[in-house]
Amino acid sequence: MKEIILIIKKELTELFRDKKTIINSIILPVLITPILIVVVSKVMEFVNKKDAAKTIKIGLMNAPADFNQLVANDTLNKVTTFTEAADFKTLINDGTVQTVLVFPENWKTDMDSLRTGEIQIYRNEAKRNVNTRVGRIVTNYTEGIKNARIASLQIPMEKLTPVKRSYVEVGEKKEAIGKAIGGFIPYIFILGMWGGCLLAAIDLVTGEKERKTVETTLSLPLSKFNVLIGKAIVAAILGLLPAVFNIIGLVVGLQFIDLPPAFDSFISELVTFESLSLILLLLVPFSIFLSGLLIAIIAGATTFKEAQSKATPVIMFIILPLVMALLPGIELTWATVFVPVLNIGLAVKEITAGTMDMLQYVVILISLLLFSVGAIYLSYRKFSDENAILK
Amino acid sequence: MKTETTTVNAVNDVSFECKPGRIFSLLGPNGAGKTTTLRMIAGIINPTSGTAVVDGVDLGKSGDAVKSRIGFLTGSTGLYERLNADETLDFFGKVYKLESGAAQERKEYLFEKLGINEFRKKRIGQMSTGMKQKVSIARTLLHDPEVLIFDEPTSGLDVITADSIIDLIRESKQNNKTVIFSSHIMSEVDLLCDDLAIIDKGSIIFNDSFDTFKKEMKADTLTQEFINRVKNS
Repeated sequence: MKEIILIIKKELTELFRDKKTIINSIILPVLITPILIVVVSKVMEFVNKKDAAKTIKIGLMNAPADFNQLVANDTLNKVTTFTEAADFKTLINDGTVQTVLVFPENWKTDMDSLRTGEIQIYRNEAKRNVNTRVGRIVTNYTEGIKNARIASLQIPMEKLTPVKRSYVEVGEKKEAIGKAIGGFIPYIFILGMWGGCLLAAIDLVTGEKERKTVETTLSLPLSKFNVLIGKAIVAAILGLLPAVFNIIGLVVGLQFIDLPPAFDSFISELVTFESLSLILLLLVPFSIFLSGLLIAIIAGATTFKEAQSKATPVIMFIILPLVMALLPGIELTWATVFVPVLNIGLAVKEITAGTMDMLQYVVILISLLLFSVGAIYLSYRKFSDENAILK
Repeated sequence: MKTETTTVNAVNDVSFECKPGRIFSLLGPNGAGKTTTLRMIAGIINPTSGTAVVDGVDLGKSGDAVKSRIGFLTGSTGLYERLNADETLDFFGKVYKLESGAAQERKEYLFEKLGINEFRKKRIGQMSTGMKQKVSIARTLLHDPEVLIFDEPTSGLDVITADSIIDLIRESKQNNKTVIFSSHIMSEVDLLCDDLAIIDKGSIIFNDSFDTFKKEMKADTLTQEFINRVKNS
C-alpha cells in the first residue's frame, strides 16, 4: 500500500505541475456549467428581445378593416396592401414581404352568415419570429369573431364545452422535470470524466515513454501491479475531479445567476446533498473502469497522437448509451442496470426525479465495481506486456 | 497470400560472471542483445528461462531485492521532468526504502560531490543535458548499490558530460562495486575494461579478461579485432 501511495503522490505532483491538467481538471469544469447556464439564458433573452423589436413586413390582400386594425396596433408591423394576386412566393423570397395573408373576396359575407372563412397564409416555415407574431394576430382575430358569434347566438358557454378534463396530478413536478432533464446531466459529468481520464492516462503511460522514464520506473524495486494501480488511481482521480468541480461550479454558479423563480425552486430541489452524493458515488467505480480501460487501450502507443487516436473511438461507446438513456421507453430495469454508462444515464434520471430504487442503485454500484476490476486486470495484462510497454 | 512470423531469441544461453571491484564490458553490434541482457539483469524484463544471481540474490526468486542492489543508468532511463532534483532523490530514497535521515545525508553528499546544489530546486525539464546527467548519476548512486549497470551511458552526450560518467565508473570500481557496462565506443572500453564479453545475434562469442582479449588480438586495432570476431562468429 505504501508503494501505491508513493506512486500516487509522485504522479499527482507531476500532473498538477502541468498547466493542461489544471485547465482541464479544475478551471474548465468549474467554469463550464455556470458559463453555459449564463450564456444560454443571456443568448435566449437577447434573441427574444431582438425578435420582439424587429419590424416584420406583412402583406395583406382583401383583409377586413378590423383585421387591418389589429395588424396596425403593433407599430413594428410594416403592412403592404395588395389589391390583386401577385407572385407572393417570389416577393417573400426576395424580402419584399415576409408573409402574406390573403382573405377571400367574400370574407365579410362568410362572416356575416356565420360560415367558415379561409385565410391563405404565404410564409416561410423557417422564419419563426414572423410566423409566431402573425399567428398570434390571427388567433386573436379568430377568438374575437368566435366570441362575437357565441354572444350573438346567445349560446351558453357550457354548451360549447361538452367535456371538461380535470387532472389529479399524483406524480411530483420534480419527477416529471427530473426525468426530462436528468438524462442530460451525465453528459456534463461523463464527458468531463472522459477528458480528464484520457489526458491523465496518456500522460502517465505514453508520456512516460515519450519522456523516457518508463525504463527508470520499471528498474525500481516496485511491483508492476502497484505501479499500474497507482497510475490507474491517479487517472481515475483526474477523471473524477472534473465531475466534482462541475458540481461545485453548478452549485456556486446558481447562487449568482438570476433564474425564473419556478426554475430556481426546481433546481434547488434537484441540487441536494443527497442527490449529488448518489450521483458522485456512481462515478467513483466508473472512473476506475474508465481509467483501466484507457490504460489498456493506450499501453502499446508510443506517442501522444497515437494514444489519442487509439482511445478516441471509445467515446462512441460512451455517447451511444447516453443517447439511449434519453430515448423514451428506455427505463432502468434489471437488464439495463448491468449496462455500463447506460445504467449511469438512467440512474441519474431516476435520482433527479426522486424515484431511484435503492436496490437497483446498489446493483449498479456492484456491477460498475466488477467492470472496473475487469478493466484494471486488462490494463495490468497490457502494462505487463514488455513488448507493448517498452516499445 | 501468406505471411509467416518467426520467434527470434533476443538472447540465447547467455552466461557470464562479473566480479566486485572489476569493470565488465558487454560489447556487441546493434541488435546483438546487449540491452535485452542488461534489462533482464536489472529485472525490467523477464527471461523466458534461466536467471541471474546479483550480489548473492536470485533474480527469479526475489526480483525486488535484486533491483534494490542495482543502480541502472542508460540513455533510456530519463528523469521525471516535472520534479526538481531534490524531489527526485527524495522519491528514489523512499522507493529504495532508505531511512529518511540516511537518505538525506546521502543526498547532500552526492549533491555536494556532483555540484548539484546550485540547481537542486530547478525542475528537471528546465535543466541542461549536463545537469540532468548529474542528477541521473546521483539517483543511480543514492542507495549505494553493489552492482552498477550502464547501458551505453555516454551515447549522445557531449565530451564533458560523458567524462563525468567515465569518472563515475572508475570511482565505482575503486569502491569495490561490480560494474557492468555496454558500449560500442572502443576507446571507452580500452580505458575502463577489466573483463569483456562480446555478444552477437544473442549469443556470447567471447568471454574472458580484457588482457586475454588483447593478447589474442590478430588485428592492429581493438575496433578491427572486434569487427573480425563478430564477422567470424
